[in-house]
Amino acid sequence: MPRALLLLALAGLVLLPFQAPSHITYLVALIGTTTVIVAGLAIVVGLAGQISIAQAGFAAIGAYGSAQLANWYGLPYWLGLPAAALVAALVGYLFGLLSLRVADHYLALTSMAFCAILQLLLVHLEDWTGGAVGLAVPPATLGGFTLDKPVQLYAFIMPCAVFATWLLNSLRHAKLGRAFAALRMSEVGAAAVGIPVLHHKALAFALSAFLGAWGGGLFALQTTYLDPAQFGILESVRLIAIAVIGGLLNPLGPAIGATIFVLLPEMMGGFGRYMTLVFSLALLACLVLAPAGLGGVVHRLWKRA
Amino acid sequence: MLGQILVSGITAGAVYALVALGFVVLHRGTRIVHFGLGDQLTLSAYLVVIGQVYLDLPFAAAVALSLLLSAGFGVLVERAIMRPLRASPLLVMVIATLAIGAAIREGLRASMGPLPWPIPFLLTPAPFTLGGLVLVPANLAVVGVAAVVVLALFLALRFTRFGRAIVAVYENPTGAAIVGISVPAVHARLWGLASVLAAIAGIMVAPLITLSPDMGSIGIKGFAAAVLGGFNSLPGAIAGGVLLGVVETAAGVYISSAMKDVVSYALLIGCVLLLPHGLFGRAEARKV
Repeated sequence: MPRALLLLALAGLVLLPFQAPSHITYLVALIGTTTVIVAGLAIVVGLAGQISIAQAGFAAIGAYGSAQLANWYGLPYWLGLPAAALVAALVGYLFGLLSLRVADHYLALTSMAFCAILQLLLVHLEDWTGGAVGLAVPPATLGGFTLDKPVQLYAFIMPCAVFATWLLNSLRHAKLGRAFAALRMSEVGAAAVGIPVLHHKALAFALSAFLGAWGGGLFALQTTYLDPAQFGILESVRLIAIAVIGGLLNPLGPAIGATIFVLLPEMMGGFGRYMTLVFSLALLACLVLAPAGLGGVVHRLWKRA
Repeated sequence: MLGQILVSGITAGAVYALVALGFVVLHRGTRIVHFGLGDQLTLSAYLVVIGQVYLDLPFAAAVALSLLLSAGFGVLVERAIMRPLRASPLLVMVIATLAIGAAIREGLRASMGPLPWPIPFLLTPAPFTLGGLVLVPANLAVVGVAAVVVLALFLALRFTRFGRAIVAVYENPTGAAIVGISVPAVHARLWGLASVLAAIAGIMVAPLITLSPDMGSIGIKGFAAAVLGGFNSLPGAIAGGVLLGVVETAAGVYISSAMKDVVSYALLIGCVLLLPHGLFGRAEARKV
């Protein structure tokens, strides 16, 4: 996409909170949060080609981790969020190491079970997580200011989303991203040209978990209340749907998918309860008819014009 | 105590075994793990309720209708979605089956509401005692039906044209095609068969737990059972199901009922890591 258009979009993002009502600002910030989480998924599923149904679990680590670090130790978010994300990355790396022995369906199953276990622990370890009732998230403070207005959160979240998108784009052309791509094409081939397969698989999971947890922490700030039901397998599947509909190999894919998934239910109003059904069917249609995702469709139209 | 755990465990295990059989029957022939099979379980149980409540059918007729529609649904899924995706990467097929499950679940939630529905069962849930064991007729019926279904499946695979074509495709798809068996038709048949197995499990398990759109999460138990059994062995799936039921019940008694599910998911992960071929599966050569 031409550079001018991107700059225009960025300028729009900067100007938006000055013009739009706070509800719109909140929604766009929610798109930003979702973009960060899905960007992680785009790395592990899109670039590296490893199936992960655990992204909601990593988001939970970021959300609960940063909230509890603030609750227990009064750790400010600008420290707590990276800390939780690093822990998630470590967990992701270890999970990736385990994936040496499993591939394909078994990896999907294992990550699914992993996510289910995390969610069950959120429900049952009540002393640590608030249990099924949920957990109140303390607002973030920065140098005496409390970030609780949609505009303030927007200013905090959107740079993260832009950074995640930029990361995704530059990763594609970096050595690491090319190694991931080799892994996706053929593990044996990648090993033959000297790429340490196991380390890179684990790295892909670690990066994805880091972004997932980062986005989860931002999400916690936005919703101010965490419910374990938000971090199950179903949420992981929804995140995969966002990634696929946006386009797995398109750096703008997570942003496109997140925009659709956040804005459409808002615009549909009364049809809200059918939205998830519509999305599932749209995902199926997308897989059968446009496997490159809507991002890919746009890209193709662009080329043609 | 131990006897009681065995009895309760085998009841749960019988259901898991049927779900696991559904996974394995389909996977052996098509190489697809159907991540939406758990939700098809829910769909079939709802179809029984719909038949009874909205069409005023007697229980048996509603069950028959549900089984028929479930089989049709399976075939439809194969024709409309999986066949066009036949040549796509595995990742795409996994996501497609996940989406099928999500569509069923959310469709049910939107049309039938998020709250549980009562679903009747022929036998009384009132327990009786026999030799110190508390037995529930409804649970015994579950085990009985599962045993009959499994027996029928094995007989069908061995002695009918329908089943022998399936076994031929299991053994060697190319060879089967050469001797004139239509492999795509067998794939459609396998989707129908797996759907029916899931339907039977769903109709039997719905009265025992609650019938809500989220009942499909029992599918993960089916996965765990299938993985324990090696994922490519039919008797293994049954043994895995019963084993999982017993282990889970024991964990509920000896550890805590809250950690019951954690134990079975951990068993799934542990088995994938340490015993990738399960307890009964054979190692398969992987093409690179």
